[in-house]
Amino acid sequence: MRLLVLLLLLIGGYANAHQFTPTYPKLELSHMPGIMKADMVLFNDRKEIRYYEVNVFDKEWNPVRFATQSKIIPINYKERKYLTIYLSGKGIKRAKYICSKSKILMTVTKPSIVSSRICSKIK
Amino acid sequence: MKKLLLIPILAATANVAGASIPINGFIESKCVIQSDTPGMFGNPTVDKLSTKAADGGVMPIIRYDIVTASKYKAVITTPTDFSTAPNLSDSVEWTSTTVAGQMSDSEMSVFNSDKAIYNNGHTTEFDLVKAGSVWFNVTSEAEYGYGKAFPSGSYTALIVAECIAK
Repeated sequence: MRLLVLLLLLIGGYANAHQFTPTYPKLELSHMPGIMKADMVLFNDRKEIRYYEVNVFDKEWNPVRFATQSKIIPINYKERKYLTIYLSGKGIKRAKYICSKSKILMTVTKPSIVSSRICSKIK
Repeated sequence: MKKLLLIPILAATANVAGASIPINGFIESKCVIQSDTPGMFGNPTVDKLSTKAADGGVMPIIRYDIVTASKYKAVITTPTDFSTAPNLSDSVEWTSTTVAGQMSDSEMSVFNSDKAIYNNGHTTEFDLVKAGSVWFNVTSEAEYGYGKAFPSGSYTALIVAECIAK
């Protein structure tokens, strides 16, 4: 069984991956008073995806206000982007999940039938 | 003369001396989602679109790589609507299944026995309690009206594959 899986890994021609780390980001003090930040890394290994959206949610999955360079992140294939998420006020206590989701252009119909979303948890 | 003698000695020393260059690596807990096989609808009957191989479709396969066990859960939501389609005047009934197929560790079969299904069977949640790679097979079927023919055109529907830290 393991050999079969290994073979599939080696010969699998079509593979597209989305990575978003760390799993458990820590909020740290930013250079601005009252503002906390979390550093995240997004890696795009999906050929047909050029944009990802970043969002922050509380434990009930309600959106939390945050600031970053851009909510929609343009990213090339095989590119790694370092993002800083800024939170202030009540958002610091409420924020529980930081998520990145692939955005599929309407013009792309093949092969993209899968939208991926990875959520990290603030501990 | 003495200087000339020094040259080969220095050259030999230069060959011996070398800088050791470290290669550092760090494995961190993470979940990687891979769209392994893109799905394709088959059209076995005029009123049906299906990703099943028996219906002429291609079953979408989504691979999850889990570096550390019990850190994430996988949530896979199958389509309940088309993202692109010709104008449809009647209702579409969707049915779907999501199962863990290939797995790098046989103990990952627990993913199937402990999965939770909700949202009228369209969302399946797997607790990723084992590390390794797992391939989730998704089938999706759409039936139009009561035996009504789907209008000709291009149809696209989206599966949402999520990995959520616990």
